[in-house]
Amino acid sequence: MKYDAVIVGSGPAGSVTAYYAAKAGAKVLIMERRAEVGSPVLCGEGISKQIDVFEMLRDSKRWIANKMDGAHVFSPDGTCVTLAAERAGNETGYVIYRDIFDQTLAQKAVAAGADLMVNAQVMSLLKNKEKIIGVQATQFNKNLEINADIVVGADGVESKIGSWAGIPTTVKPIDLETCAQYTMSNVDVDRAYCNFYLGNEIAPGGYVWVFPKGKDVANVGIGILANMSEGGQAKQLLDKFIASHPELNKGKPFRFLAGAVPVALPIETVRDNLLLVGDAARQVDPITGGGLTTSLQAGQIAGETIGQAVEQQRFDQDFLSVYEKRWKEAFLRKLKRNYMVKEIFLDFDDKTINMLADSLKDYNFDEINTLGLVKALVAKHPTLLMKLKPFLKLYGK
Amino acid sequence: MGKPKAKVDPTKCLACGGCISVCPQQAIAWIASKAVVTPVLCISCAICIRTCPVGAIHGDEVL
Repeated sequence: MKYDAVIVGSGPAGSVTAYYAAKAGAKVLIMERRAEVGSPVLCGEGISKQIDVFEMLRDSKRWIANKMDGAHVFSPDGTCVTLAAERAGNETGYVIYRDIFDQTLAQKAVAAGADLMVNAQVMSLLKNKEKIIGVQATQFNKNLEINADIVVGADGVESKIGSWAGIPTTVKPIDLETCAQYTMSNVDVDRAYCNFYLGNEIAPGGYVWVFPKGKDVANVGIGILANMSEGGQAKQLLDKFIASHPELNKGKPFRFLAGAVPVALPIETVRDNLLLVGDAARQVDPITGGGLTTSLQAGQIAGETIGQAVEQQRFDQDFLSVYEKRWKEAFLRKLKRNYMVKEIFLDFDDKTINMLADSLKDYNFDEINTLGLVKALVAKHPTLLMKLKPFLKLYGK
Repeated sequence: MGKPKAKVDPTKCLACGGCISVCPQQAIAWIASKAVVTPVLCISCAICIRTCPVGAIHGDEVL
């Protein structure tokens, strides 16, 4: 079997890459390690309204579970800051059924001409001397050798494709959120708002989220930084949080999942005959841990690049670097800035976060501008000025 | 007696991939949709044990 491109992983990054490559005339194969595309879900399932306009998602909205008006952010002492959806960053807009979402994208890719295999685990890269010429995989106990001019690693945070091609992929514990989540029924939360709970006791280096999925159903999850974690701590802290919240503790979970989210700076994404996309490329917002919108953007660019590569029969790193150049133009600045914000925020103790929330709780975010925001913050709690100095440097640029 | 090597309890592993992504030795891989440690590659750093959100990894004494 010979393909122009074999795409390892059928998450959003993989399927979008396949769709745009196939649309451009490339012969592509998606290989999914698991038995079902989109399952098990490994996601908080929040996404920005931006995706409304995304071509592959326009004609079916079956993946929308709930439309959000905005977000409530709670400081450790319970002070609530309300953000309208447009201001709440990547992760409020919709709460989705991530399994249906992923399957919608995979079906679109197949409709555009991509091949798809499930239960197909890639074991290694096929190489001719040093040159990557495809993948070796197993499916239903059979060995497969699949030749391809381009291998795309869309194989998640735990990507092996990158490391097999010589790209350092190990995530530092300080750059990884380790997550656990219940989907619960019989909870009593305002279904119009996504909720974020901050605090070093609640979720060290991360946050707890409550994303309503319907009338009395919500995803209740936690992410904590792996370098601040002990084995099993994510689940323990989540259980503790739920037990202490009356709107949640009568709820019953009908789904439990664990996850890992890179909150790192992006890594190299191109080698001869190889691309990385999505979580495998760390294309994730380091503040929220959201990676859906960036993965869709990067996947489209990767797919278009593959189309051009096939047309010109150029598969070298130099040619494929168009992909890296374009996705960096699209969102690298934001990822870098948010990584720095993450690092600054990690130094904040609970008292500082409480002061911030107290200053912001009555702030009108419709009129947001940096100077006005800083004035509002400092007017109420002058000592915040020192704490906010790194932010001023960052946003003053 | 060597240091304890990381071992994944397959009945607890929810296949999030966190341990695989942080392992500095590339010693953990998917086998039948569970994370599995290759003991000869493990350097007993315990990063995976601390990372696991559900406590599915523990140190296993190697005699």
